[in-house]
Amino acid sequence: MRKVFYSIMALGLSTSPLAAAELTVITAGDQNMVDYINQYLGPLFEKQNPGTTVRAVGTGPGDAGSQKILERFDAQAQANVETWDADVAVAHEKFVGPMVEKGYLEKYRDKIESGALVTRANAKMALGSNVDGYVMPMFNSQTALAYNPALVASPPKSYEELVAWAKENPKQFGYNGIKGGASGVSFVMGWIYAFGGDADKLMNGPFDAAETSKWNDAFASLKDFSTNATMTPGNAGTLDMLSRGEISIGPVWVDMFYSWQANGQLPPDMKLVLPAPGMPGQPMHYVIPAKSPNKELAEKFVNLATSPEVQAEGIVKRFNWYPGIDAKHVEAALDKETWAKLFTDISPEDLAKYGKAFPIAPYNTAILEAYERQVGN
Amino acid sequence: MMAGSIDLKWIPRGLGLGLLAFAIFGPLTNLLLWAFTERWYFPHALPLEYGFSYWANVFSPRGNATTSLIMSVLIASLTVVISIGLAIPAGYALARLRLPFRGAVLLILLIPQAFPNLPVYVNIARIFYQFGLNGTVLGVVLVHVTHGLVYAVWIATAAFSAIDRELEEAARSMGASALRTFADVTLPIAAPGLLASAVFVFLESLDEFTGTYFVGAPDISTLPLLLYTAGSGGNYQIASITAFILLIPSIAFMFVIEKFMRADVLSKVGR
Amino acid sequence: MPIPLIGLLLVTPALIIVLLLFIVPLFSSVTGAFDVDGSFGLGNFQKAFELYSSDMIFTVVIVLLSTFLIGLFSIAIGGYLTLGSNPRAVAILRWLYRWPLFVPFIVVGQILRTFLAKNGLMNSMLVEGGILTAAQTVSFLDWRGIVIAFVWKQTPFVTLLLSGAMASLDRSMIESARNLGASRTRILIEIILPQVLPTLLVGLILSFVTMMSVLSVPLMINAQSPTMITASMAFRINAYGDYGVANALGFISLLITSAAAWIYLRQTMKERA
Repeated sequence: MRKVFYSIMALGLSTSPLAAAELTVITAGDQNMVDYINQYLGPLFEKQNPGTTVRAVGTGPGDAGSQKILERFDAQAQANVETWDADVAVAHEKFVGPMVEKGYLEKYRDKIESGALVTRANAKMALGSNVDGYVMPMFNSQTALAYNPALVASPPKSYEELVAWAKENPKQFGYNGIKGGASGVSFVMGWIYAFGGDADKLMNGPFDAAETSKWNDAFASLKDFSTNATMTPGNAGTLDMLSRGEISIGPVWVDMFYSWQANGQLPPDMKLVLPAPGMPGQPMHYVIPAKSPNKELAEKFVNLATSPEVQAEGIVKRFNWYPGIDAKHVEAALDKETWAKLFTDISPEDLAKYGKAFPIAPYNTAILEAYERQVGN
Repeated sequence: MMAGSIDLKWIPRGLGLGLLAFAIFGPLTNLLLWAFTERWYFPHALPLEYGFSYWANVFSPRGNATTSLIMSVLIASLTVVISIGLAIPAGYALARLRLPFRGAVLLILLIPQAFPNLPVYVNIARIFYQFGLNGTVLGVVLVHVTHGLVYAVWIATAAFSAIDRELEEAARSMGASALRTFADVTLPIAAPGLLASAVFVFLESLDEFTGTYFVGAPDISTLPLLLYTAGSGGNYQIASITAFILLIPSIAFMFVIEKFMRADVLSKVGR
Repeated sequence: MPIPLIGLLLVTPALIIVLLLFIVPLFSSVTGAFDVDGSFGLGNFQKAFELYSSDMIFTVVIVLLSTFLIGLFSIAIGGYLTLGSNPRAVAILRWLYRWPLFVPFIVVGQILRTFLAKNGLMNSMLVEGGILTAAQTVSFLDWRGIVIAFVWKQTPFVTLLLSGAMASLDRSMIESARNLGASRTRILIEIILPQVLPTLLVGLILSFVTMMSVLSVPLMINAQSPTMITASMAFRINAYGDYGVANALGFISLLITSAAAWIYLRQTMKERA
């Protein structure tokens, strides 16, 4: 027994974080986020910085993944750990606000070259929290309706058309409610933008409790609509049912849609449509903890990751994501054909018009709770 | 049963076994198919294209599958050793000795399984950071032991209480010491139960990912940790392959345990 | 040394581990459940009942039903393993029943989601085999899917324990009952079952507890409303960052499992007395 104990202690010591120039990247999101760092960005960074190694840790998809990063930071802050065990984290928009407010993050955007290449509003404000300077967008993601053209000849171009279509085709529309992931949440937010009130006010604030009472009719009609829809188990569940032909249209994350197609899990002829008045999207952000053990290296890493070349080659060309930095810098670094591929289904104009943000945090919470009370129960 | 003729009893027997085989291997076939699938979607009942490209992905040098596998097995084995080491005295005491608060003790051991862990991990991680246990094998093993103990202790308690006291008393009356009686009489009879609980503790440890993430990552990487992202994101190929690799240690462990159990049961029959 | 003291000494190491590494961290979660804006209150519980009472009923019904089915199947399989007359059939069954034990819950969720769906592998196999037509297929991805997943994964667990206990029984009583012409079902119910009941109950209680705390299965098979308590807890934390209600839900879940465990413990105490 004693021998075992000593060997455990020895193991414990030998694996303590001492190795020099090891850059730890913790990332929320699907398998493709981990793949992106392991297969593309990590090797590239190691080549440019000999002697360093990059290791990626995935925390799982969706809000749960980002929540786990936030909780990890919480634990280290509460334990007064001197140097934290992450150098770079990739988290969803919703979670960077709290990280900034709690003082966990380094304000680094002005220190890196590519910082000047980001001017989009969602890199300054995250659901109503000021995160200016603390984040660099890795890529922008968007939700849209995925459909099977074989079953849906002319896809609904707006929420009104979708309602009419779903009435004619019962159970052919599927979404995952709000508990199974953000693609369903996004559909609900779009519903409120369409039928419930002032989308601009919801996205930009300020929060006004009176606004919440205007949604009752929208939720009543959504409840009605949902009884005629198929409920799917999660973001992946919607794609799953689409791929098996059990539903013919449903809300999905565009990046997930493409990675499923690339993995041969979705028929190649599936298409996307972004209905009016729009559905929300959000960026994934690179953040650097203020107590990162290798801050300079981390900044270098994010600088590389948000350079026009990497955004063009890695984000757009290889992984089919919408770029994080301003599009014009990325477009210039790419051939026309590759750039156009990104907009096969959803044109840049539609994206600009109908690609919305999520409501600011208090509205977000109010809508979800109202859904739970009025639709879910 | 007459030799030579077909045994009619095989009709219901075969039907029952066939149904069970379908129920068990149907879903597992799914796992097998996805592990070798390159393309599979509606309306095709079976994959359109098979291949090994995702295996290459999992076993790529940066994929860490092999070291994660070794780490998973190491952690699971240590977890079993510690859990069973703690469970044998505890189980014996709970089964045999007059213990105050016996019910309360059993309930306390149950709590790590009974309270859904999600909101507790932040607190666990905080405490582990304070003790410098984060990122160590010991830290992860301790978390797994906490969860495995309920299986180990409860099953050990059941195993010890099932033993006929007269056997022990007979040994004692023949002059054997208490310790000797325990080692020669009690422990061997309880062994099948204890070994079964070892299997569950091992499997429980091999299944665990949330605690490993909070206490072990980024320094400790286990297979379930890799599996989690792929599994919950719906990357069926990677998830299926990882699950397959996890089958190897599970079945190997089961096999070893089985050897022990057989030997033990046989030796009892001989006596 | 008095015996109760020795007993306590023997359980202390195990208790210390659980107390230090789980009960202490749990403590702030439990107090968090009663914390409403910094002061003691039941607001979180009120909200939990208001929004998730259907989830609680759903959870209890699902887990009870699953436990019942697991018990039934494991008695049947264990009984056949002990009393089966044909050694080859027994060997096949012994080899067969165990496999789900080795599949992690998250993978159980994944493979059953793609197996049980309307156009999933099960239905397409049945359609190809001519047993069903495409129009007759139904999806099991609702409460039934959760029950199937739980029973699939947990039956081998209980069976393994149970068949171990059955194997170590004294065979002479079984043999003499058989010589008197008792049917196997009768022997199983009247002679074997009473003797292995403690083991069966332990297995079922542990399964009950495990199922109450599994998150991946309800998330991957049915994340609709109503769903299981764990899924709602995860939603409370991930969507709202609301640990108060999540911890209240966790506390309720703890009470449910403790109640089940307590009933079991009282039963065994009575037997001991």
